Amino acid sequence: MPMIEVQHLTKRYRDRTAIDGLSFTVNEGEILGFLGPNGAGKSTTMKILTGFLPPSEGTARVAGFDVFEQPLEVKRRIGYLPETPPLYLEMTVRGYLKFVASLKRLPGRGLKAEVDRVAGLTGVTDVMDRVIQNLSKGYKQRVGIAQALLGSPPVLILDEPTEGLDPAQRAEVRALIKGLAGKHTLILSTHILPEVTMTCEKVLIINQGKIVAYDEIRQLATVHGQAEDVSLEEIFIKLTAA
Amino acid sequence: MRTALAIARKELSIYFTTPWAYAVFTAMVAISSFFFMGLVQAFQQTQAWARSVGWNQLPPDMAAYRNLTDGVVVQLWGIILIITLFVAPFLSMRLFAEEKRNKTFELLMTTPVRPIELVLGKYLGGLGIISATLGLTLVFPLILSAFGASESGTVLEWPTVLLGYGGVLLWGATCMAVGMFISSLTESQMVAALLTFVVMLPWMLLRGLAQGVEEPLRSIIGYLSFDTQLQNLLRGVLDLKALVFFLSVILFSLLLTHRTVEAQRWA
Repeated sequence: MPMIEVQHLTKRYRDRTAIDGLSFTVNEGEILGFLGPNGAGKSTTMKILTGFLPPSEGTARVAGFDVFEQPLEVKRRIGYLPETPPLYLEMTVRGYLKFVASLKRLPGRGLKAEVDRVAGLTGVTDVMDRVIQNLSKGYKQRVGIAQALLGSPPVLILDEPTEGLDPAQRAEVRALIKGLAGKHTLILSTHILPEVTMTCEKVLIINQGKIVAYDEIRQLATVHGQAEDVSLEEIFIKLTAA
Repeated sequence: MRTALAIARKELSIYFTTPWAYAVFTAMVAISSFFFMGLVQAFQQTQAWARSVGWNQLPPDMAAYRNLTDGVVVQLWGIILIITLFVAPFLSMRLFAEEKRNKTFELLMTTPVRPIELVLGKYLGGLGIISATLGLTLVFPLILSAFGASESGTVLEWPTVLLGYGGVLLWGATCMAVGMFISSLTESQMVAALLTFVVMLPWMLLRGLAQGVEEPLRSIIGYLSFDTQLQNLLRGVLDLKALVFFLSVILFSLLLTHRTVEAQRWA
């Protein structure tokens, strides 16, 4: 069953076309790796899917609800980590997560347990009572991920979740994301290619707002590479060079 | 509604964890106590003068100095209105502009929060902080009633004092509503504060500015002026017309803010 359905999605800013006629679907429990060079339109697509920006043309449906017609239904089902983690620097991690939980209308009972659960998953339990401003970039990013996981929404949209993390933390986040597969439908954008090969089953590569490749990773290698062992990196560079 | 309250609580906690609230409190108390002392001094001088020559020898506009309520408190409220005009933009400027600059607006807009809850929550937070700021000035009538003396019974006429204070609060609430709307238009807090001030000050002084124009227009402009509307309330007259006027301005500002937040969906 398709959890996310995108059809002919187009976004124009005045005379610039950010994304141009994107169509793809993500099935329930799948992880889609969303690839593309900077400025290709990854973040714009994600902002439309989460109902932050309206599309110029085309439709996007999440769990059967149109993001534009029924935004509240869609927002209730999505956990979203934007490009810049949306943190209130003056708040403590605990205060912030509690605040986001109330924005997501999580029931008051069990709220504390839910906050502790996502904190445990993302490894921020030790910094719960520190002010976000004073945290390192890696911790800030993890608080951002924790916020998206609150209430365990069926769909997770993570815009560059491993940005700003060191290699060890990156491995942790990758493991975390892999653990989420099956229970959640995920869209994950990144420009770190090994990330995709390690976590995703399917990849969508866009360049200048258009889809240049959309397939399973194994398929991509056989279609675009002469040899079986061609790396995703080579495919990426080849496809986005134009 | 629970979401709106959560947003209001977050706003208040941010005001109090940053130096903003304290800076504004200090400014409010420092400036108003400066004027308070001036008023008390003028009051004492007039009283001493009246004792030596008798009240009927004094010019008629000195009659206000016969009691502390009209001589000090009502005038002090008038001054606090002006201070509020300068201080409120600094409190309202961050309500939306900061969220946009910090990208936290994206969080508010992608969680299942209705625009109306967002606007009400923000406004409640704003009301909380302006009430706290203005609440500090209640100390002046309290000082007067503790240390003042009167020939006839109570030192202060509390109904007049409190009604005037209600007018001050209403004015603060109006400043915050207009300021919040302007804050929702921009990403820059400085621009929001400046623009709020640029809108509120001429509006306050509209009556004076309209002295030169022809009659029907002059009355209309005079009616729209904050200054005209506030006058009766400050003197302790419960003026329903003014109440309706300010509530309409507040409601209209909230409506405009709501439209601006909604418009994000159409951008």
